[in-house]
Amino acid sequence: MIVNSASNQSRNSLMPRIIVCLDVDNGRVVKGTNFKQLRDMGDPVELALAYEQQGADELVFLDISASNENKPTALKLVTEIATHLSIPFTVGGGLKKIDDVKAFLDAGADKVALNTTAVLQPDIIDQTAIAYGSQCVVVAIDVNKSDDALKFYINGGRKLVDQDFNLWTKEVADRGAGEILLTAMHKDGTGSGFDTELTKSVSEQVPVQVIASGGAKNEKHFLDAFNQGADACLAAGMFHSGEYTVGRVKRYLMDSGLQVRM
Amino acid sequence: MPRCARNDGWLNMKKILVIDTKAGNLFSIKAAIERLGFETVILDKPNAEFFDGVVIPGQGRFGTVMKNIRDNDWDSYLAEARIADIPILGICVGMQIFFESSDEDKDVDGLGWFNGRACALDFPKKPMVGWASLDSKAWPDAPVYFVNSYAIKDSDISIATTTYGETFCAAVNDDNFTGVQFHPEKSSEAGSRIILQALTDAVGDNR
Repeated sequence: MIVNSASNQSRNSLMPRIIVCLDVDNGRVVKGTNFKQLRDMGDPVELALAYEQQGADELVFLDISASNENKPTALKLVTEIATHLSIPFTVGGGLKKIDDVKAFLDAGADKVALNTTAVLQPDIIDQTAIAYGSQCVVVAIDVNKSDDALKFYINGGRKLVDQDFNLWTKEVADRGAGEILLTAMHKDGTGSGFDTELTKSVSEQVPVQVIASGGAKNEKHFLDAFNQGADACLAAGMFHSGEYTVGRVKRYLMDSGLQVRM
Repeated sequence: MPRCARNDGWLNMKKILVIDTKAGNLFSIKAAIERLGFETVILDKPNAEFFDGVVIPGQGRFGTVMKNIRDNDWDSYLAEARIADIPILGICVGMQIFFESSDEDKDVDGLGWFNGRACALDFPKKPMVGWASLDSKAWPDAPVYFVNSYAIKDSDISIATTTYGETFCAAVNDDNFTGVQFHPEKSSEAGSRIILQALTDAVGDNR
């Protein structure tokens, strides 16, 4: 099996990706960002372009469509982002039916992230993959580790799913997901790094790419995750705070022997 | 009936035709072309306007795109553009249709301008998604964004290859035709430069 580690990257021109996540509510980026150069730090388009400039490989906009009343605003925003951004972006949160998925892909999103809806109506994974291709479907899984057991949750981490986690990762790949966005809830907000063991085990078990999420605080956390088989790493806070730029993390990765896009 | 002709007037903004094969949204490709200072016109059927370049976007299945191309007489339109020396840029499936066939829809013939077919490749993980560097004299050190399960494995007009599990053809160029397996409209500044070269016929100069 080929993974994105420094040792065998020569057989593989595909580069480890850094994905920045932005939380959007009613057309505005919420959760503090600290980009002093921006006039309006809540403008998703301006922030997205700033991250493209920094060297982000992709962006994820979450909760963009969480409520129905906001949907026209959200769709307009997605088209606006697609018009200005020249790197891929994913939208997720609140996509409840296939019509929602179609509306956001038709508005210009490159991919949709499905989480709760994927669990409640798994057919939506197949339907999206058939209509638009697997590359458009990211299944997001919020997993929590307690007493060495892995359990996964829906509804923003509030509701436990009574299913086996490993079987679910395989099922989403079988149904046609193109990527799995794996958020380790037990790492989120800790700043102790990605759960590399978890990333590695899922990455080895499923035939699709795995995006590690939760726990990143510094550049070394990215290196560890990529060396353990993460195809991509997602972070938010450490970039929004202005403490790190994507470029700074990438320079560190490059100095450590990984081929990243500069 | 020359429906395409070169517009050599520098006073006019160059006009690029984007063929709408009804296989997905065209916001990104339209915006990427317009950022380069071109005007874009999106058409789902040929008309009598003159264009300075033609783009076949990279969305949809091989069979569906080919059906659309044939049903709307784009095949003869493209053949005329080829003879009239209009730059043509095919992206992803929009490049694959110029070859003979594809594993994606085995019973559908491609346009057959070039030898070779799109194969289901033995990628470590499918689909291939992400940025990859190119082995290319034309575009060295330019990581670009790939999204594909199928690709042309070998081509006698290849100008770039990349490797993911196995090596395949990432771009082709023959006179006024340029085809790219990756998505230049999603490849930031590196992608913009490639679109500009393809639409100004400058790829061949950099082989």
